[in-house]
Amino acid sequence: MRPSGAGTFSVNCRSKVNPLVSAACLLAFVTVANAASLTLLPSQFTFTGPASRQQLVVVHSSGGKFLGQVTNDLTFTSSNERVVRIEGDTAVPVRNGSATITARAGRQSAKVAVSVTGMDKPFEWSFRNHVQPVLAKAGCSSGACHGAAAGQGGFRLSLRGYDDEGDHRALTRHALGRRIVPGDPGRSLVLLKPTSTIPHKGSKRFDVDSLEYKILSEWIAEGAQGPRADEARIARLEVLPDLTTLQPGATQQLLVRAHFSDGSVQDVTRWAKYTDANAAVTAVNDTGSVTVLGHGEGAITAWYLSRIATATVTVPYTNKVAAAVFAKAPRRNFIDDLATEKLRELNLPPSPRSGDSEFLRRAFLDTIGLPPAAAEAREFLADPSLKKRDALIERLLARPEFVDYWTYKWSDLLLVNSDKFRPAAMWSYYNWIRSHVAANTPWDRFVRELVTARGSTAEMGAGNFFVLHDDPTTMAETTTVAFMGLSITCAKCHNHPMEKWTNDEYFGFANLFARVRAKNGAAEGERIIFAAAEGDIIQPLTGKPQKPRPLDGKPLAFDAPGDRRDVMASWLVSRDNPYFSRSIANRVWANFMGVGLVEAVDDLRVTNPASNEKLLTALGRHLADRNFDLKALMRAILQSETYQRTSAALPSNAADTRFYSHYYPKRLMAEVLLDSYSHVTGVPTDFFQDKRNANQGRGPAYPVGFRALQLPDTKTDSYFLRTFGRPDRDRTCECERTGEPSMAQALHIANGDTLNRKLAAKGNRLEQQLASGTPDAQLVEDVFLAALARFPTEAEKTTFTDTLAACAAAGRRALLEDIYWSLMSSREFLFNH
Amino acid sequence: MACRGVLLYVLLEVRNKVLPMLKVTGNGSTITCDGVTRRDFLQVGTLGAIGLSLADAAALQAAAAADKSKDKRSCIMIFNLGAPSQLDTFDPKPDAPREIRGPFKPISTKGDFQLTEILPQHAKVADKFSLVRSTYHTAAAVHDTGHQMLQTGRLFSGGIITPHAGCALEFLKGRRTELPAHVMLPETMGPTGGNLPHGQDAGFLGKAYDPFVLNGDPSKADFKVPDLLPPKEIGEARLARRRELRQVVDDTVKSFESSESAKLMDANFHSAYRLMTSARAREAFDLTREPAKVRERYGLTRFGQCCLLARRLVEAGVRFVTINTFITVFNEITWDIHGSKPFTSIEGMRDIVAPMYDQGYSALIEDLAQRGLLGDTLVCNLAEFGRTPRVNPAGGRDHWPQCWTIYFAGGGVKGGRVVGKSDEIGGYPAERPVKPAEVVATIYHSLGLDLDAHLPGPQSRPFPLVDFGTQPVKELFA
Repeated sequence: MRPSGAGTFSVNCRSKVNPLVSAACLLAFVTVANAASLTLLPSQFTFTGPASRQQLVVVHSSGGKFLGQVTNDLTFTSSNERVVRIEGDTAVPVRNGSATITARAGRQSAKVAVSVTGMDKPFEWSFRNHVQPVLAKAGCSSGACHGAAAGQGGFRLSLRGYDDEGDHRALTRHALGRRIVPGDPGRSLVLLKPTSTIPHKGSKRFDVDSLEYKILSEWIAEGAQGPRADEARIARLEVLPDLTTLQPGATQQLLVRAHFSDGSVQDVTRWAKYTDANAAVTAVNDTGSVTVLGHGEGAITAWYLSRIATATVTVPYTNKVAAAVFAKAPRRNFIDDLATEKLRELNLPPSPRSGDSEFLRRAFLDTIGLPPAAAEAREFLADPSLKKRDALIERLLARPEFVDYWTYKWSDLLLVNSDKFRPAAMWSYYNWIRSHVAANTPWDRFVRELVTARGSTAEMGAGNFFVLHDDPTTMAETTTVAFMGLSITCAKCHNHPMEKWTNDEYFGFANLFARVRAKNGAAEGERIIFAAAEGDIIQPLTGKPQKPRPLDGKPLAFDAPGDRRDVMASWLVSRDNPYFSRSIANRVWANFMGVGLVEAVDDLRVTNPASNEKLLTALGRHLADRNFDLKALMRAILQSETYQRTSAALPSNAADTRFYSHYYPKRLMAEVLLDSYSHVTGVPTDFFQDKRNANQGRGPAYPVGFRALQLPDTKTDSYFLRTFGRPDRDRTCECERTGEPSMAQALHIANGDTLNRKLAAKGNRLEQQLASGTPDAQLVEDVFLAALARFPTEAEKTTFTDTLAACAAAGRRALLEDIYWSLMSSREFLFNH
Repeated sequence: MACRGVLLYVLLEVRNKVLPMLKVTGNGSTITCDGVTRRDFLQVGTLGAIGLSLADAAALQAAAAADKSKDKRSCIMIFNLGAPSQLDTFDPKPDAPREIRGPFKPISTKGDFQLTEILPQHAKVADKFSLVRSTYHTAAAVHDTGHQMLQTGRLFSGGIITPHAGCALEFLKGRRTELPAHVMLPETMGPTGGNLPHGQDAGFLGKAYDPFVLNGDPSKADFKVPDLLPPKEIGEARLARRRELRQVVDDTVKSFESSESAKLMDANFHSAYRLMTSARAREAFDLTREPAKVRERYGLTRFGQCCLLARRLVEAGVRFVTINTFITVFNEITWDIHGSKPFTSIEGMRDIVAPMYDQGYSALIEDLAQRGLLGDTLVCNLAEFGRTPRVNPAGGRDHWPQCWTIYFAGGGVKGGRVVGKSDEIGGYPAERPVKPAEVVATIYHSLGLDLDAHLPGPQSRPFPLVDFGTQPVKELFA
């Protein structure tokens, strides 16, 4: 956006004596002191007929960024009122020709040239492009009213009008033709009811003198024509300003423009439906006016004719941070460049680098799910080398426990669950995953092998995916949520209200899986997966199948040879599929950073934007460029200064929970916590399989020494794991696992038998320490290093050694247990920080 | 806790001078008597000067405006997860065609209404409870949306997670004793086919106000509250020593000050200690203190014993007990009578669910009445939707949010009556439709909360307890 006009800068803050607005103005003044100018939105437009209108919005801009709406002292004028006239803040075409519209605010101005055509062509309202939006905006076709599955009062429309033909029939053919009365439009039910002229359970939706009424009544009078095959169709939706920087208390009117297949562009601000994705930052009303409520980034989504566009609002925090703070912040790689840039935009200073002990423990837990042993901690902390963090990262990526941890995570995703499989099948599924993690198989190959698995599930463990998900719709929905972070489920019955996926696209995608079959193999639980030569899934709405098609990709012929899944897989894992690389990048990122760039981690909706779009895109591209080598991505994250920041917040960034100004402490995963308890005390946990769902009670035990992260599934009888949020692996959803603290967890740590038994066990590390005769001071050091990967402070050392010294010999064991307990129940232990 | 009392005193003093000038209007803005807006009010800084946020002030005002005569009120919410079929239980339509009225005959009761023959014990206590037969909602017909709406009064949207009514109550009124103010039995709701939250926690109020979940089955012989007591080897002295040593370690690393999760963990430990050292808490959860006859009257089922435990908890000072009749609809016999696996058949409901439920509920009502507790204890029986008037091909009924029945007893409710009516087939409200928001408002009204109160919402903005204009179902109390 080029700032137009070279007028002198002026900001009008004189109107209201409102301290907060004055403060905001002052901030705006300081921010735009150099080159703020007026910009008129939209920056260009044409009128193509008498029904066209264009709402006008004026904003301040500087350096290509929009900085807030201008409404004070604002006038619009048209250079030729006979071609285009102004009504309030809206431009209205009068006759064919050209005109220039000028916006003036104070001493600044901005212009836009407008041409008008088509005013002499006959005009009729279109059912598809005019009537349906009225019905959607007025709420007639909403899910609460006539768009419900059963409609209301015998009148059923498709949800938000995704089915033009069906809706036209419902309006014109059903109910004995009383809904539309062509000879006397005013008597049509579709006008009498929503104006409450006759009783309407849905109450009044619009007035008799409204534009809604005009459009509907004129459409009826024109013959109530249905959707035409030759009329322009909507191609995409645009919202302006799409990116703007505002302050709390500010308001911003959005403009929504619909681009059609014939090249025309219409202002549909009045007809779009608006939702806000982050109600803590912004709120929007149904005329598209946004109010800023808090700091951070808000996103407003506009919906119109099954298309979506999103506007982002950046609301910097009110900190005084010198520019040098950001310029001088340490940067290791592209992650830091992009993360720090976002912090700068939001005025959030970054916290300093973590200490060695912080980083050591954190990297261990995030990469391999185990804390460092005391000796490892001692060695790392004593190492003077400047490259020791990088060296540690390489060692961790190569550790055998890495394979356990990441196999467990992908087993969560792929639902390895012995409730659903016989033991042999479950193990073959698990081992297939494990072998690939051990080989660091590129993620695209891993996914391709999974979704095209064929043959015996005993030999090709990945085939179990199709035993678990055994009909095309489940296969389609699981594949998209697991590997693209998209939930297309809503589109199964109607166009997705919050996403761009249509009912047609849903069934086109599901049809790619329609020929997958399974038959029994020879061994127990063995299935043979194969692709049949025929079969299609019928789309209920049309009664016919859709051509097999990877969502918005190219369709296949029904009789195309070969396994349709091969085509789907190529599209899915292609580096040109932005969802694929972004989705896995987001999952890996969230593992280390605690919070995904998109939250929830598997909810990459258009209407749920990332907290840092550029960073997420860059991470996806980085991964794709390295052939989807996950370890390469992990390395980049671990090495970044963004990951290595301390978790200690500054007062000025304490409120940040999405932009990584500091590391976010997170409670350890249930399995990691349990394994840490075993690791520190030297007492492994006994794991028994849980067969209660099969009415077989407690099953066989796993070998002694098995860690929780080595378990192939989550059907183990463990109160600890359940209480600390282990998922059931019934649904492909990140929401199944929870990391939130609870009083039950506190009670279990204090009184439960998990930790207490390990502390009291014979032959455990405590016993060995006492027997070894180590002096108390050294003992205390060892305990701190083992549990917290750090040395005790002077105060801690004194307290603990004094307590030990004062203790009678008979009570030393109990005291040592209490010392261990106090460290292992501390916040520092329970959290990764 | 003494400091809280002092703070309260200070705040009350200030309240008398400051807050009468503050009027919290229903639409979320706040105006003082002379028309100054909230923003300007904050500018003046009166609240800030005494360390009160607007949210604190709102809570304080809510507490002050609450009806003191109802301070002793408690609530037992029985949530019939799975959703009973209204036609087969509380809203029989004997004159409807067979494929609508279902297989059960109506019976008369001690109240002004009929029930079906599978609830004979309900019939005997029907003078104590009143039905609302015209409940409905317009959200998606999946279990979790109904759970959200009936337990929090709202459907979650825009990223805002509204709190369970019991959690809002705990926030506004706090605990009476060292027992948690809100206890959930036997566990939280589990898988019901969606992936949305059920609305069973404190949402934006923060996890500190989450309910205490039992995570046990009180009908089992070896039932004890998991981890309520330390192991025998660890006596008072060691318990105290452990706490002190832990405090030393926690005092070292301060980087958690800003982490909500860490603060919550601290709060959890604090509450845990209070709970485990309380004799009253131990006894309240100890069902062996009840005579065998009483336990049998409730029924030796998980649901029955949860009802008995709920009575004991209310006696011990717990303000709100939520009982989840079931915790999943899959692979169990529940209310969710779709008619085919993994759901339940109508016969399964008749033979297994109804007797268990009938026995437990009637025992609870009789017991509360006999002990003189019913007047101050609201017992509400809710569900997420109703079921289809037309029996489906599998002989069951599917989801139907357009009309269903819930009922209330105690807590000021006058029993034996019907509020609202459904149409001839029990498909739509014919009279007095009742929305979920009104159901929750009814609970708040019984508990004496001020409906104009506000909670501290996301980013500490005042969030109305109920949406402006929402009224309780007053006909239940008149």
